[in-house]
Amino acid sequence: MEVTICIGSSCHLKGSRDVISILQRLISLNQLENDVELKGSFCMGECMNNGVCVCIDGERFNVTPLGTEEFFRTEILKRLGK
Amino acid sequence: MKMHIDAAFKSINKFKEELCGDKVQILRTENSTIAVLADGLGSGVKANILSTLTSTIIATMLQEGASVVEAVETIAATLPVCSVRKLAYSTFSIAQVFDDGRVDLVEFDNPPCIFIRDGEVMDLEEYSELKECAGKNVTESHFTMRSGDVLALVSDGVVYAGVGQALNFGWNWDNVSAWMAKTTLKEHSAPRLAVSLIEAVNDLYLGKPGDDSTCLVLKATPRCIVNMLAGPPVDKADDARMVHDFMVSPGKKVVCGGTSANIVARVLHRKIETTLNYADPTLPPTGKIQGIDLVTEGVLTLSRTVEILRSYTEHKTDAFYFHRLDEDNGAAKIAKLILEDCTGLKIFAGRAINPAHQNPGLPSDLSIKMQLLDQLASLVEQLGKPVEKTYY
Repeated sequence: MEVTICIGSSCHLKGSRDVISILQRLISLNQLENDVELKGSFCMGECMNNGVCVCIDGERFNVTPLGTEEFFRTEILKRLGK
Repeated sequence: MKMHIDAAFKSINKFKEELCGDKVQILRTENSTIAVLADGLGSGVKANILSTLTSTIIATMLQEGASVVEAVETIAATLPVCSVRKLAYSTFSIAQVFDDGRVDLVEFDNPPCIFIRDGEVMDLEEYSELKECAGKNVTESHFTMRSGDVLALVSDGVVYAGVGQALNFGWNWDNVSAWMAKTTLKEHSAPRLAVSLIEAVNDLYLGKPGDDSTCLVLKATPRCIVNMLAGPPVDKADDARMVHDFMVSPGKKVVCGGTSANIVARVLHRKIETTLNYADPTLPPTGKIQGIDLVTEGVLTLSRTVEILRSYTEHKTDAFYFHRLDEDNGAAKIAKLILEDCTGLKIFAGRAINPAHQNPGLPSDLSIKMQLLDQLASLVEQLGKPVEKTYY
């Protein structure tokens, strides 16, 4: 599964670095390194929404650093069937 | 081949002095670079006034087409006389380097210039002659610089570095020139050479310089244009034209801005690879597009670049400055490219307003990117490098 996180100016200010580091930690805690690949992308055009734009297999979500853990459980883990 | 002269200097003041008695002026004319180093008699205010007058008069007169003799006569007639020593005196070195490499050098009482080719100190004796000019004995030299050659002018504070402290008789010219020759093999840009020499001088003085010390470095480099594309065009239909103009322009290529990077990648049918490597937590990471030397985020990166270049033009340079310049983040990479590997900048600026900048976290001014580009352009011009801007 490919998870792309926007690192454009606007998302950077909304905390994309925190979202990335939280996701990296959750992935290693759950030993999902072989299942999930984290990627960066420049502006994906979702700047007007709250939160950082995160894209899973083409579907877009808005994730705040505080909501990252929940996002990980409800979207990433669920999709992996875990 | 036409060359660019990369010029940089660094001064330190005599211990406890607020003003420097050495003064450097660098001027660019259409086909040459004129650099003047003047060292005023004494130190502090008096020396500062003498050397400022001397260097400014010489540089301005030469730039307007006067001869060296006329300039020296003018100085002899205008300098205020020191009430203690009954002298009006400032040493000077004048180097005019034409863009085909010809050098006209006139020196009066400064340590002889250091000319380095391929890491070796070159003897300029056969190109020099002693002359009398407006009652002063000056040395006049004519020679030719090749690409890669370094010409260093130093004030006597450098040659006497450490006298009576770390070294009995100071560093002396032979050792300074040998050190410089060795360092040209390690440090390749004029700013780094000037700063590292002055750092060494400061060390020899044990941090308490006994005299104002200045090093002016002129390095002949082949022309290298940096092309910078920043911002999407107002009209989407111009995307392809903008990217085309950018790609066919010779030189290095930098893309600033996520949206701009997306446009370039789309027009060229190439992929952007973005790293998640945060070398600096406050700046977004850089990306990669095949055929582009550097791809970075836009405003946050550019404002840091402007900050780094501004502290250079304000002479806040020391070893730590170059440490910052060598950091692995987008802003430092752009600054380094502009400062050390660029002889001219071409900006391809798109004027579309980015909806991302409506974000309350960013300054309210919508034209922030344009302002940053203007600031960047004026800083690059201050560095003596021509800037060309095209808007889309």
